[in-house]
Amino acid sequence: MLLASTWMALMLGQIEPVQRNIIYAHIPSSICALLCFVVVLVASIGYLRTSKPQWDIVASAAAEVGTILATVLNLTGMIFSRAEWGVWWTPSPRLISAGLLWFLYVVYLILRSSIRGPRYLQARVCAVFGIIAFLDVPMVYISARFIPDVHRANFSFETGPQKLALFMGIGAIMILSAVFIWLKTDILRDQNKLERESAS
Amino acid sequence: MRYFWLSVKAIFLKDIVVELRARQVIPTMIVLGMLIVWILRTASEAASISAVVIGPAALWIAFLFSGLLAQERSFAVEQQNDCMYGLLMAPVDVGTIYLAKLLVNLVMLCIFEIIIVPVVMISFGLDIHGRWAGLIGVLLLGNLGICGVGTLFSAMVQLARSFSALLSIIVLVILMPMMIPATLAMLMVFGAIPDELAGVGNMVFAGNFRSALGYMVAFDAVFVTVCWLLFGLVIKE
Repeated sequence: MLLASTWMALMLGQIEPVQRNIIYAHIPSSICALLCFVVVLVASIGYLRTSKPQWDIVASAAAEVGTILATVLNLTGMIFSRAEWGVWWTPSPRLISAGLLWFLYVVYLILRSSIRGPRYLQARVCAVFGIIAFLDVPMVYISARFIPDVHRANFSFETGPQKLALFMGIGAIMILSAVFIWLKTDILRDQNKLERESAS
Repeated sequence: MRYFWLSVKAIFLKDIVVELRARQVIPTMIVLGMLIVWILRTASEAASISAVVIGPAALWIAFLFSGLLAQERSFAVEQQNDCMYGLLMAPVDVGTIYLAKLLVNLVMLCIFEIIIVPVVMISFGLDIHGRWAGLIGVLLLGNLGICGVGTLFSAMVQLARSFSALLSIIVLVILMPMMIPATLAMLMVFGAIPDELAGVGNMVFAGNFRSALGYMVAFDAVFVTVCWLLFGLVIKE
């Protein structure tokens, strides 16, 4: 599906000038990065309610996938911005929001890797940060509106193939993220089991 | 309800008395704040940037870092002789501890600001144009946001000491949205953005003083409530 959407975007959905085609990677990764944050939120609430380590593992996996997506989002955004407005970065509302999204994920991962001590403590601290960080996303979206905007309100996709390629891209990256989260969850679960067995 | 406020008051007074006797936190905050202000004042002079623009920004930088210092201490003092367990075993709701510590941090930051704001105004040559009420409003709303988030995370640092070095980045990244309207409002108070220019341009919101304050009220309401609720879940053993 990813290949098909890339092929469609490049063969049928070409947008001029050529750098703008990066939008086909940009929009799907932005949507999926936000969705990963929703997963982190749900898993964090789940952990705080039930104290089951499975929830914590899911939050951790989703945060890692989200970090990669947010990095892709920001990098493709920078390339697009350079092609469109001639600057790599400018403090406009959406750019600030996307930047903060990346920072929140990175801080989450740093936090997770640096807490020593009992596992439940690490999980609890990360869950609290995950919930508060999620609340920060709409907050920064509103607050960044206090700054003048240069970002295009809505990118218009004129032709049918362009739209289809975009939707396929969104679908493909969503499935890809879900698979990555699932795989990472599996790895972390096995790792946990191994640690428990070697400890006992 | 009366019992609730009595217990808040008891913890609050305890911490204030401890600080009055030890005088550890406020002097450190003031020295740090003055150092930040001094460095920025020197830098703005060297780079010949308008002091009216750097001054209000310097205020927020000083508040953020000095506030962090106070918040980290506020739970660190409970670590000695395992006082934290004593607090937790007291027959009070855990939310009470959060509220009391929040109030203590707020008072510390306010005392700090009473000293540092005139210092900034004098060294940067800022003119307030009689907008004292606006300044106090911005300061109080900003303080509440800084302390609300900081108090929760400094309590968590005490649970797992290994990430104490991360406290500043955690609190700063969460507070980042509030800093945009807060700086905007501060610039307007000191006349760095003229009133007739505020809200002009292609801003979706009218970026005027009132909407900046409104945003800060909303931010404080959301984060203080959520932090208060989460505090109980974090602290439970």
